[in-house]
Amino acid sequence: MLRRLTNIHWYLSCSGKRHLNSKNRLMQINRAYLTVAVFLVLVVLVSSCRTGQQSNSKQLTLAVNSGVEGEALKQAALDYEKQTGVHIQFAEFPYTNLFEKELIDLNAHTGAYDLIMLDDPWFPRFATKQFLTDLSPLLQKRGQTGPDADFVNTSLALCRNPYQTGALYALPYVGNSQLFFYRKDLFAKYSLKEPLTWDDVLAAAKTIQEKESEGGKTYGYVMRAAQGNAAVADFMPIFWAFGGEMFDTAGKPTVNTPEGIAALKFMLELGKYSPPGYASFNADDVGAHLLQGSAAMSINWPAWISSFSDATKSKVIGKMAFTTLPGATKTGQAEIGNWLIAIPKDSRNAEAAMDFLLWATSAEQMKLSAQRGNPPTRKSLFQDKELVSKFPSYPAQFKSLESARPRPRTPQWNEIENAFGIYLSKANSGELSPEEAMNQANAEIEKIIQRGQ
Amino acid sequence: MPKSKRLFSAASRRELVFPLLLLTPALAVLLSLSIYPLIYSITISLQRETADGIKWTLANFARLGSDSFFLTAMAHTFVYAAAALVLEFSIGLGLALLLNTQMRGRGFFRATLLVPMMLPTVVVGVVWRLMLNANFGAINGTLKEFGLNTESLTWTASPRLAFLSVIVVDVWQWTPFVFLVLLAGLQAIPQEPYEAALIDGSSRWQTFRHVTLPLLKPAILIALLLRTMDLLRVFDQIFILTEGGPGFATETISLYIYRTAFRFFDFGYAAAMSFVLLALTNVISTIYIRLLQTKETA
Repeated sequence: MLRRLTNIHWYLSCSGKRHLNSKNRLMQINRAYLTVAVFLVLVVLVSSCRTGQQSNSKQLTLAVNSGVEGEALKQAALDYEKQTGVHIQFAEFPYTNLFEKELIDLNAHTGAYDLIMLDDPWFPRFATKQFLTDLSPLLQKRGQTGPDADFVNTSLALCRNPYQTGALYALPYVGNSQLFFYRKDLFAKYSLKEPLTWDDVLAAAKTIQEKESEGGKTYGYVMRAAQGNAAVADFMPIFWAFGGEMFDTAGKPTVNTPEGIAALKFMLELGKYSPPGYASFNADDVGAHLLQGSAAMSINWPAWISSFSDATKSKVIGKMAFTTLPGATKTGQAEIGNWLIAIPKDSRNAEAAMDFLLWATSAEQMKLSAQRGNPPTRKSLFQDKELVSKFPSYPAQFKSLESARPRPRTPQWNEIENAFGIYLSKANSGELSPEEAMNQANAEIEKIIQRGQ
Repeated sequence: MPKSKRLFSAASRRELVFPLLLLTPALAVLLSLSIYPLIYSITISLQRETADGIKWTLANFARLGSDSFFLTAMAHTFVYAAAALVLEFSIGLGLALLLNTQMRGRGFFRATLLVPMMLPTVVVGVVWRLMLNANFGAINGTLKEFGLNTESLTWTASPRLAFLSVIVVDVWQWTPFVFLVLLAGLQAIPQEPYEAALIDGSSRWQTFRHVTLPLLKPAILIALLLRTMDLLRVFDQIFILTEGGPGFATETISLYIYRTAFRFFDFGYAAAMSFVLLALTNVISTIYIRLLQTKETA
C-alpha cells in the first residue's frame, strides 16, 4: 500500500519532466483518475435517482416522532412485515425537527414518505397546502363508507379539513388530551375535595403551600409559562373556562376581552403558588417538580402518568390522582393533542400505505400500542377491561378526551402560538401587566392573520 | 522547431487537465453549496406566495421596519454582542498578559483555560441550564449554602437575569479564544522594543500603552473580528439555555430567523432578515479589516 502511494507520488512529481516515457504514464494516470471521477459521478446520480424510481410496493417509508409514539409504530411495523412481507422503513426525528422535515419534503414533492406522523396542530397547514391524500376514496374502494365509528369523535374531527366537517386526510393514532394531576394524599390530609373549579384549585394551592412549608417546601401548584407552546398549553384550559375565545365567528382575534384578561389575571394569581422561575418552565420542569413531590397540582399530559409509579424516578408512588380539568364560568375543557397518521399526496404507494394505516389503527393493533403506553383513540379500548386495570386513569382520560378542544384550526397556528406565548410569558415574568399583554397579543395575532400565508 | 513547440503546448495543456480535475470537486461544492443557495435566497426574499401564485415583491423588506419582533431581536443581538465582546476582550487581555509572564504553573493554567472553548456549544448550554436552574441548580444551591436568599434569583425566568445569564455563558466559553489569540500575539512581539523602553525609563503603563498595545493591534483586531461575527449570529447556546425567553427577553436575530423559516415556514421573510444581518455584519467586518490594513501599511 505504502509503496503504491509513493509510486503515485513519484508519478506526480515526475509530471514536470517531459520525456516521452513519463508523459505516457502521466496520461495513463490521468485516464485512471478520469475513470474514477466519472464512476463517482455516476454513483451519485444513480443513488439520487433511486429514491425517485421507487415504485416497489413491497416497501413503505414512514416519518415518525422519536419517542414512545413512534416506538409503538416501529414495533407494529415489525409484526406487519412478518404478516404481509411489506418492509417498512423508518425516518425518525425528534419532535422539534419532525415538523420541518416533513413540511420541507412535502413542499418539494419528493414523495420520500408514504406515511407521516403529525401532531394535530400541524394538520391544518398540511391539509390546506393540499399536501395530503384524501382517504375517503381509498376507504370506499375497501367497501367502507367512512372511518370506523369506534374512533372518538373529537379525535376524528381533527383529521378533517375544515375541522369536523371537511374531507378526511388522516386517522388518529394516539389520543392524548390534558388531565388535571393532583396529590391525593395531601388532599386527604387537609380534607380537601377533588377540585371542580379553578377557585377550588387556588384555595387548595393556598392551603397546601401554607401548611406543607415546614421541612422542605411543597408548592401548591406548578405551571409552565415558557414562551411558545408551553405557556399557551397551560393557559388555554384556564382561558376557555373563564369564557375566553381566541377568535370570534368572523375570525377576528379576541384574546383581550374582559374574560381573557380575567383568565390571565387568574393565571398570575395561581403563579404565586408555583415554584419561582415558572415563567421559563417547560414540560420537563413540571414533571420534575411533581416527581420530586415539590408541587401538589398541575395540568399535564397522560404520557407522564406511568413515570409516577417508577421507583427510580418518583418520590410520590401511589400518591397521584388524575381527573378532568376544572371549570370556572364554563365547564372545564382540556386541550387535545393527538398524533395523526396521514398519507402524503406524492406517495407512490398510497394503496399499500392505506392498508398499513388501517391495520395500524385497527382495534387489535391499537391495543398493543396502548399497552406500550400510548393512549388510544378508540372508544372500545378506553373501556377494555384489561387496559383499564393496567391504566386506572383511563376513565378520566376518556372523559377528558371526549370533551377536549383543539387549538384553533389555522395553518398559521405556529406563528400565532409563538406570539401569544411570548406575551403570556411576559405577563408571567412581570414584564407586562395582564391588560398590556393581552392587548399586545391581540394586535400581534391580528397582524399575523392579515398578513396571511 | 515549431513542431516541438506545439508538442510542448499540447503537453502543458494536458498537464492542466489534472490540476483542473483536482479543482473540480472544490468548485462544484462552492457552486452548489454557497453560490447557488445565495442566489436562491435572494430570489425568495423578493417573492411572496399568494393565492394566485408566486409574486415578485418588496413586501418582505418593507415588513422589517414595522415588525417589533424583528427590531427587538436586532437590538438584543447588538447589545448582547457589545456586552459579551467588551467582557471577553478585557478578561482575555488580562489573562493573556498574566500568563505571558514567567509565573509558576502557567502551562497548567494555559491548558485549563482552553477547555471551555473545546466543548461543544450545545453541551455548554445544557450544563449551564442545569446549573442555572432556580430550584435544583448548582448555582443557587451554592448560594444557599452561604446563607443567601435565592428566592428571587430565578436566572433564566426573569428577563434581566436571563439576558445576563446568556452573556455570562458566552463569556465563559469564548474568553479563552480571545485569550489564545492575544497570547499568541504577545509571544510574537520581539524583546528589543521592551529593552529600548526600559532604557528610556518608561513606566510599566507607558510600556504597555506605547509598546505592547500597538504591536498587539493585529492580534486584537483579528480576535475582535472573529468574535463579532460569531456573536452577531449566536444561536445554539441561547436556543438551549432560554429558547429566547422568558417572553422575548433573550431572543436574538438568528433565533427569530430560524423560527420564521422553520416554524412559520416563511422562508422569504427569513431570507430578507438574513440579508439585513449579513449586510450589518459585513459593514462591521469591513471596518475592522480597514483598521487592520492601515496598521500594516503604516
